[in-house]
Amino acid sequence: MKKSWLLIVVLVFSLVLTACGGKQESSQGAGKDKSLVVYTNSASDGRGDWLKEKAAEQGFDIKIVEAGGGDIRNKLIAEKANPIADVVYGLNEMNYIALKNEDVLEPFTPVWANEVEEGTSDSEGYYHSLVKQAILLIYNSDLYTQETTASDWPELWENKAFHGLYEVPTNLGGDTTRTVIASILVRYQDPNGKLGISDKGWKEIKKFFDNGTPATEATPFYANLANGTTPFGQMFSSGIQQREQEYGVKAGIVSPEIGVPYVTEQIAVVKGTKKKEGAEEFINWFGSAKVQAEWAKAFNSMPTNLEAAKSANPEVKTLHESVKKQDMDWEFITENIDAWIEKITLEIQ
Amino acid sequence: MQIQNKYKLKNKLYIFAIGIVLSWACIAFLIYPNINLLITTFFQDGGFTLEPFEKLMSSERAMRSLWNSFILAVALVITVNLVGLFLVFIMGYFEIKGMKFLRFGYYSTLIYGGIVLVAGYQFIYGDVGIITNLLLSIFPNMNPNWFEGFWAVLFVMTFSSTSNYVIFLLNALLKVDYQTIEAARNMGATNFQIIRKVILPVLKPTIFALTILQFIGGLGAFAAPQIVGGEFKTITPMILTFSGIVSSRDLAALLAIFLGLASMILLAIMTKVESKGNYMSVSKVKTNLVKQQINNRFANIIVHMMAYVLFVLYTLPVVLIFLFSFTDSKAITTGKLTWDSFTLENYMTVFTDASAYQPFLVSIIYSALTAVIVVGLILYIARLIQKYNNKWTAMLEYILHIPWMLPSVLLAMGLIITYSVPNTMMFHKVLTGTLGILLIGYIIVQLPFVLRMLKASFYSIDTSLEEAAKNLGASNLRTFFKVLLPIILPSALALVALTFNSTLDEYNLSMFLSHPFYQPLGITIQNSTSPESLQDTRALTFVYTVLLMVISSIVLYLVYGRGTKAGK
Repeated sequence: MKKSWLLIVVLVFSLVLTACGGKQESSQGAGKDKSLVVYTNSASDGRGDWLKEKAAEQGFDIKIVEAGGGDIRNKLIAEKANPIADVVYGLNEMNYIALKNEDVLEPFTPVWANEVEEGTSDSEGYYHSLVKQAILLIYNSDLYTQETTASDWPELWENKAFHGLYEVPTNLGGDTTRTVIASILVRYQDPNGKLGISDKGWKEIKKFFDNGTPATEATPFYANLANGTTPFGQMFSSGIQQREQEYGVKAGIVSPEIGVPYVTEQIAVVKGTKKKEGAEEFINWFGSAKVQAEWAKAFNSMPTNLEAAKSANPEVKTLHESVKKQDMDWEFITENIDAWIEKITLEIQ
Repeated sequence: MQIQNKYKLKNKLYIFAIGIVLSWACIAFLIYPNINLLITTFFQDGGFTLEPFEKLMSSERAMRSLWNSFILAVALVITVNLVGLFLVFIMGYFEIKGMKFLRFGYYSTLIYGGIVLVAGYQFIYGDVGIITNLLLSIFPNMNPNWFEGFWAVLFVMTFSSTSNYVIFLLNALLKVDYQTIEAARNMGATNFQIIRKVILPVLKPTIFALTILQFIGGLGAFAAPQIVGGEFKTITPMILTFSGIVSSRDLAALLAIFLGLASMILLAIMTKVESKGNYMSVSKVKTNLVKQQINNRFANIIVHMMAYVLFVLYTLPVVLIFLFSFTDSKAITTGKLTWDSFTLENYMTVFTDASAYQPFLVSIIYSALTAVIVVGLILYIARLIQKYNNKWTAMLEYILHIPWMLPSVLLAMGLIITYSVPNTMMFHKVLTGTLGILLIGYIIVQLPFVLRMLKASFYSIDTSLEEAAKNLGASNLRTFFKVLLPIILPSALALVALTFNSTLDEYNLSMFLSHPFYQPLGITIQNSTSPESLQDTRALTFVYTVLLMVISSIVLYLVYGRGTKAGK
């Protein structure tokens, strides 16, 4: 009678194992299979549904797996021996450089490769840019004007009047946060310094954290911007419009001399996909001027495709025309950003 | 034991088979993937160095956070035991007017947790909270951010962990034989003496198990310190940051292993203390507990008042979260409720998507499977451990605690790295991209908690019941189902419900292990409420919490609410 217990145990495990068995059938043949698994960090707010619907009109059957940029990158690297994804889009260049270095991407030149802004895609063709995003320092324009606002990040900690009035990130995992930190640190690039940054640079970033108000999960930054608790802080350009409506506050944009960091969101084929042709066809379609123009209109993005950029929403265009791009060495940043974050977490924050 | 002689040969074969299956499962799912991960983590620069140790030791911030976590864990053990025992006695032992109603309040933290729970407390005590505003009108000069730091964290965490505590301890209390209480009373014992000498000894195994859980909960504190901690920082946020960075995973693993070892040391000490005195209820014919009147009029009033105050403390956050889920982000952050701020829009957003129901369905199925399998499996294993109690079962027990040693992100990584290629250990089956791997992950992380609680239940069973059943000729299986199972059923069912609820919105494992076609709810919630999405998603977090509360309450009612009645 005890055998029935054994039976149950065996049954449980075999159940688990059979549940594990169901995968491989869909992937037979290297032919043009148009059912694709797409990894992205940019599918919320209806973007994913929009993409699925439009892609379906072209005969694609898209399954979207969404998570934060860092999570998607780590997942792709972990799965590289036997990838699940066919295409990855939306992550910023830092993540794509890491993916390329980890041998996760397959080089491919889309038909629209020449239509995008120069220098925004990978020179070796591993990934290609779709949209660009400015990472901005913004302020509450009811409380400050262009004259009274801080003119650049360092002024926030150099000028006592701004101490405690800007939000500093507590969770350093987000891509926006990492970009802001990188944009401050690269100003002090020094091959002899710790992790490529001079002592002065580390002192500055310490002052940045010491004199700011740490973000809390309980209150979103925009709420604190609106009520004046922290009228200064970081924001990615495409997030401004929606939040302005929601909180009824107009954001002023700081346009520093040195420029603002621009991140470009990319698209690439995942190495080892069994649907290479389908993936390539999808990229050809999604990155095309026509589709990117529609995407820009629907979601306030700024395409890097020069033709599509013309159809971007006027407010978005104005915003992007008002700021200059900061010159940043992304290869250098990608190589060091993880170590920087580790150092900041251990010693500074 | 002699009575088993005739089964011996059959028994040996059976034990051998079980041994093989369990060894394989332990190695394949708990040991091998994690060792694999730790090797790639610690040897990533070619050789093993002490660098990660040095980095952590020289980081003042890491050391202080670690220290804070330990302080919190110890403090939490004390406060939860105090509040928990008080609740258990007013719920199960003393006659309190309105308890039928009050108990729903005390159980409220079973259905929600994490960031939203703490946000609920902020609506009351935070800088724009109700109590703060009230206090400000009396003491205009007080600091509106008074609810911050260690004490605020301890306060929130004490109340958010006691529901769990109460559910198990109450089960244990109901096992007390009323005759022993009456006997003590006839000998002239006071209420206090009865509680200390008669009841507490029976509760001891459960209290021990719960104490370890509180300790681990304190060490792993995340949401409360993040939101109301202020300068009081704990170690878990740092572990999570590091586990998300490939090159810093060694630090994450090291910190997590350190916390895990601390928990294991406490576990070992507890087991030692436990084995010194074996306090079992000795009666053969158990009489059900009868609720006691508190005779001292003054004490009675005080206890009643405390019961009602606690009820309000427990219930207010839930009510406010429910109300605020119908408002916009602005109302939520300012803490002001007006008639105009009420809207159904948030709920519409969640449900407009045609496929909105799918993640709910996927998560409900996964959670149900996880709950049933994990509790079934551990029922069996806990029984093995209790019955054979030798070095093998001791080893098995320690192996089953491995998931406490690593953050779930790293557990997931271990599984992916190991089983994304054909591996002999898994009979050359690739597990990544399958439906099964997520289930395996979910089961793995629940093992230690379920084992601790079920083992405690088994230890509070009177062994003479089992012997009596055997003497009457009942088989092992019959003894288990007819005698033992009914006794531990309330705890087992509670565990099914709790495991279900905690799996429902799990994110880390889901993110790394789920099948692209069947993504669970945790991913949907995380994505639609991430700070990087285009619109502000504060209100959606509340909507999802309320929806989860509804599902969790239904499950608790179906599994536990009815189960206890059947179990009695």
